[in-house]
Amino acid sequence: MPDITVAGLSKAFAQGRAQGQALSGVSFSVRDKEFLTLLGPSGCGKTTTLMSIAGFQRPDEGTISCGDRIFFDRAGQVDLAAEDRNLGMVFQSYAIWPHLTVFGNVAFPLKIRRMRRDAVRRRVLDVLELVELAGYAGRYPHELSGGQQQRVALARALVYSPAVLLLDEPFSSLDAKLRERARAWLKHLQGELGLTTLFVTHDQDEALSLSDRIVVMNAGEVLQVGGPEDIYHRPKTRFVAEFLGHCNILDARAVAATSAGSTELVLRANGNRLTVSGEDLAAGDQVQLAVRPEAIKLQDPAGGNSYPAEVRAVSFLGDHYLYELDLDGLALTATDTRSFAGPSVAVRIPPAACRVLPS
Amino acid sequence: MSPLALNPQAGPGPGVSTVATLRTTGDPPAERGRVRRLVPETGLQAAIWVLVTVCVLAPVVPLVYASVQSQPLYAPGRVFTLAAYRQLFTDPAFRTAALNTLEFAGLTTVGSLLLGGGFAVLCSRTDVPGRRVYSRLFIAPILLPPLGLILGWNALYGPGGYAHDFVTATLHIPLNLTSVPGMAVLGTAVAVPVVFLICQAALAGTDSALENSARSAGASPLRVLGRITVPMLRPALLNSGLLVFTLAFESLGIPLVLGSPEGHDLLASYLYNTWSNGFTPDPPVVSAGATVMLAAACLLLLLRTRLLGAQARFVSNGGRGAPAAAGVRLGTVPRWVLGALFGLYLAATTFAPIAALALTSLVTELTPLIAPWHLFTLGNWRTIGQGTLAHSILNTVEIAVVGAVLTCAVVALATAVAHRSGFRLRRSLPFIMLFPRAIPGIIIGIGFFWTFLLVNPPGSALRNSIWGIMLALSVRSLTIAYFVMSAAFATVGESLDHAARSGGASWWTAMTRITLPILRPALFVSFVLLFISILNDYDPALFLVTPGHEIMGVSMLDALQKGTTGPVAALAMVQVAITVVAIAAGRRLFAARIRGNRHA
Repeated sequence: MPDITVAGLSKAFAQGRAQGQALSGVSFSVRDKEFLTLLGPSGCGKTTTLMSIAGFQRPDEGTISCGDRIFFDRAGQVDLAAEDRNLGMVFQSYAIWPHLTVFGNVAFPLKIRRMRRDAVRRRVLDVLELVELAGYAGRYPHELSGGQQQRVALARALVYSPAVLLLDEPFSSLDAKLRERARAWLKHLQGELGLTTLFVTHDQDEALSLSDRIVVMNAGEVLQVGGPEDIYHRPKTRFVAEFLGHCNILDARAVAATSAGSTELVLRANGNRLTVSGEDLAAGDQVQLAVRPEAIKLQDPAGGNSYPAEVRAVSFLGDHYLYELDLDGLALTATDTRSFAGPSVAVRIPPAACRVLPS
Repeated sequence: MSPLALNPQAGPGPGVSTVATLRTTGDPPAERGRVRRLVPETGLQAAIWVLVTVCVLAPVVPLVYASVQSQPLYAPGRVFTLAAYRQLFTDPAFRTAALNTLEFAGLTTVGSLLLGGGFAVLCSRTDVPGRRVYSRLFIAPILLPPLGLILGWNALYGPGGYAHDFVTATLHIPLNLTSVPGMAVLGTAVAVPVVFLICQAALAGTDSALENSARSAGASPLRVLGRITVPMLRPALLNSGLLVFTLAFESLGIPLVLGSPEGHDLLASYLYNTWSNGFTPDPPVVSAGATVMLAAACLLLLLRTRLLGAQARFVSNGGRGAPAAAGVRLGTVPRWVLGALFGLYLAATTFAPIAALALTSLVTELTPLIAPWHLFTLGNWRTIGQGTLAHSILNTVEIAVVGAVLTCAVVALATAVAHRSGFRLRRSLPFIMLFPRAIPGIIIGIGFFWTFLLVNPPGSALRNSIWGIMLALSVRSLTIAYFVMSAAFATVGESLDHAARSGGASWWTAMTRITLPILRPALFVSFVLLFISILNDYDPALFLVTPGHEIMGVSMLDALQKGTTGPVAALAMVQVAITVVAIAAGRRLFAARIRGNRHA
């Protein structure tokens, strides 16, 4: 399967009198057989990007290509029609045609391609088997559950061996339990078939668990591209840090470099000293530190960066507790599997858990 | 069939054999698209746009042109002149007709707002007995043939009508149907359903929480009605008032049957009489008058669009949530009195006229002086079973069926272009398709008359067959189909046709194989409404009929002017019967949808 390359995509929108930038200079590429996710809050431009690739929206600038086929090139006046891009798309609403049976839905793209009748039949039944809907060919969409409808949509998008699979928040209308199972199933299918997949979601759990790489977007711009672990542990901006999971953001000033690549800082909120490791800082630098709540250690005195803190609130979340702490005027959230009753608790921020955000 | 059945640990899953198939299938179809193709769909969309635009503008452009010429368009030696307008504005008959029209339209609007709005509030917010049945019956006249209703009123309350003496002498109601206020009484009866429909829809659509919260705040039901419900109805009243005014403004049938013979003309009948009785045939002054009328109608449409646009901001959304708290309890006596009055109103305005019409068709003469069974005859029905009249029935049905099918198809495609395409001029289509609603029927008739003369071919071929009439009637009714189709398109997500497009279908394939088949119910509804509308319409055809190509409405008016009432009544009953059958068939299949769309 070929790869998709998006370069310098920009699009302005006009809503009433308000003018704005739906996309500005969006560039990334989906590699062969890769599962790439566009992640961001609603309105960040991820769906506009996907619709531009699919051919349902026309960007103002930029190029989109798939392998050596150019889909869109503003400068070269190329804009391939959606039906000629040979992409498989699964819509958020599934867009299953209500007047056709499951078979009719899945067979439609093949009929468009003038495939012979018996070949269509064989192919459709094969794909239905693949999505585990073998006995459902004669059913109408309203006779199917949400999960089954989703698999019909997937079968319809796969049946003609598209170059790339595009998924627009396909799990958002499933309930939580079903969503988890559907995710695992899709991930397996994608790996098995070696499908080049572009996935759009605002759900960070979905993005982290499914993707080979994630493109984090906000306000029409690409903020960071990388593997799930890379993005989670090494966010490059405050937005990325806060959008993927919870994150404490601490304002601090570098004081002096100590031995072995460690730096000593002073926290702005309470003047406490804090050592971070693995960061390249000069004395006097004003920085923001990102610290994940689960990286903060409670009642674990081994090592430096230890402070007493007051427990402001505790929430029980099933497999762990969420603590809201007050560290001499610095608000901090931390998680731990253990329950601490006391009004105060010892907090340790491991030097390696602090990530300096580039300003 | 859980998705987990194929989890990664399960080893070779059921899909393994297909994995190979999916991977190895060669992709010749993938490469079929050419880069920078000249999209043929744009040509198709442009063709649809041109067809609709030409059809809608066809009656308008030549009309305006004809109004500034010194001679009819077919005459030699024409020059540009504004003489026709000068002649028009100095004609005292025109001034009288204009004033009469204002009086008629004003009275009709006020009357129908009071009755229609009142009925709507009482039916949906109080416990009047039988309010559900009444709600349906109040709407009924909207679908009945207008000419049939007019003839029924004439047979019952007109001069020499069956109940005329009873009403004027016994009940002491000074009803004179041939006067302008008298015509406005009939106009009101015809317009009440329009107001009722719009107000009822508005009442059903308002969030009941608005009224419930007033109740919780301590207001009595009657107070809620007066302080919350009725004030919130203002946009609906404004909308329906303007609509009724526009419809009354272009009335042709009512003055032609009732007022005109007594010298009380409205604008439309003034133009028609000047056209058919003038010393010179087809005088430019009629075109000038029609242009003035058209300008006024356009102004009204513009005003309505502006006002509705401004009102839309204040419409409360929602409408779901809790059902409205139990409405106003009227008390036993007022309740039954109102119920009885409703029944009486419906009997007097709808059922009795239709019954009188049926009776007229079965007697040699309908008179209160001799019992009808002494005058029983089937002669009227025999008369319409042969000759020109029989021919006109067949012509009408043919026009209605073919016109409805073609219009339905064209409007469906045009709506698809307007709402589901990237065609450059798509945004103009809704306005173009709304426009015929603003053109008075008589103007469509005069306009097409000139167009057929100017554009030949196919002008004379259309003029000398029923297809010219079909075109005019179809253009006039096209807006109804657009209302139905645009509402229907709004209910179908765009992702359904996007899914077809990304599956490889062209715009045309996506529309004809996916979107329009999904909209089959709406297509059927718009076909039925178009059929009824074209079947019962006659205003434009008055100017277009040629010998041998008559339609029912025109034949009825002709026969009426010659003084034959029996066969006319029989013809009107045929119209009523076909209409009722068509509605019954439509209702049975798609009960809820018919309401509300016709005059939306």
